[in-house]
Amino acid sequence: MQILGMATIEFFAIALFFIAIFGLITSNNAIKSIVFMTILNAAVITFWIGIGAREGSLPPIMETPDHIYMIGEMSDPVPQALMITAIVIGFSVTAINIIMMNTLFRRYKTSDWKTLFKMMREETVGDGKILSDIVFIKDEKDFDEEGAK
Amino acid sequence: MSADYILYALMGITAISILMIMFERKVYRIIIYTAIFSLIISGIYLVLGSPDVAMAEAAIGAYAIIFMIVMAEKYYKRDKTDAEGKKKAPVVISKASSSLPQVLGGLVFVGALAALFVHFAPTSVEANLELRTDYLLRAGDEVGGQNVIGAILMAYRLYDTLFEALLLVIAIMAVSHLSWLGKDYITKGRKSDIQKDKVAFYSIRIISPLILMFGIYLVANGHISAGGGFQGGLAIACFFICRYMIHDIYDMPVKKVLKMEEIVFMALVIVAVLTIFLNVDVPYQHTVLFQNFQLIAANALVGVKVACGFFILFYRYITIERTEKLEK
Repeated sequence: MQILGMATIEFFAIALFFIAIFGLITSNNAIKSIVFMTILNAAVITFWIGIGAREGSLPPIMETPDHIYMIGEMSDPVPQALMITAIVIGFSVTAINIIMMNTLFRRYKTSDWKTLFKMMREETVGDGKILSDIVFIKDEKDFDEEGAK
Repeated sequence: MSADYILYALMGITAISILMIMFERKVYRIIIYTAIFSLIISGIYLVLGSPDVAMAEAAIGAYAIIFMIVMAEKYYKRDKTDAEGKKKAPVVISKASSSLPQVLGGLVFVGALAALFVHFAPTSVEANLELRTDYLLRAGDEVGGQNVIGAILMAYRLYDTLFEALLLVIAIMAVSHLSWLGKDYITKGRKSDIQKDKVAFYSIRIISPLILMFGIYLVANGHISAGGGFQGGLAIACFFICRYMIHDIYDMPVKKVLKMEEIVFMALVIVAVLTIFLNVDVPYQHTVLFQNFQLIAANALVGVKVACGFFILFYRYITIERTEKLEK
């Protein structure tokens, strides 16, 4: 079966990818964003596994010497080996995402993006200056003052 | 043909689960739907003939990430009253679903991206068939073993495996430094809730040694069947988490585990340099016994390393979840 000139699994993986991007754009909650990042990862992996698959969908394991006559039905081992790497790397990224979210939560006590950005914008430091003004320099004048010191 | 129908059914369930994630507001339900999504998509990988990837995706997507998100969620939801017994202002977990302009803007943006993609993308992608046939034919003689994926991971593309292991180490370092903790483990804190529930307690107690056995089987059998170092190492790390859930252990020797991970990583690099990069001509190098021994050793080293790494990550999250009360 073909959809838009692509095999079904390829169409499915690409649709999953765009749905995950949509979820990333529209989610208000940080945990939801992290979940959609993992789904994005899964979509890319599905695409590569899908193009490596063959009609018989046998795993690339040579159990007996006779299996050498069946390599036409075996799926591609190279993308699979690379995708195992991709899964572990995606896990590392997710672990760091969650710990960064925990650190933000510990400081601002919320995981809602809008509230978080609002609080970050209004946060003041010692002498009443707004933190974001110091961190992100807005005018050239400010830059000169900071640079002069 | 029947495999096709299974594939379509699994795709349908995945689509439903992702829609449920999108429209759900409660975080616990989002976590459950994510676990369902990961399990079903690992089923898709299995139907497409890649059991190794399916195993890794099921273990990481439906276990490791879920464990971490649950720990984060427990940390967010804790301590609803302050020191004087007053109720705090409720923590905003998920205020509401997105506003209409946000959804419409997202739809327009993603629709434009998808239209561009469909317009410019090639109609169908074909992987490099020569490389595939080459690896399938040569791996048995050159590297040994029967699992071609294991041969690629442990010999042809050992660079990738080494850098992947290095990336896991970097992730552990980042987590340790970002987690604002001076000490590695705590000896006081709240008790685990699982001991109240006898069914969960005894079932985890019965299952956990089986998980350890399964992990060791995966590592030792990685060169002849599906499985290998990563999947086996994850299963072994799962055993330690089960142990934590049953016995409520606080003083795990995290520093020793970290040291062990470093030593194992160095050993992995040394083995790789000796056997692959320098191409040392060892006697009996092409006998089946030597090849199998080499593959088992590489798998075991990767397995121990991954188990140590995941154990430290999990334990770090448990410590974060428990330490806040002591801090005040």
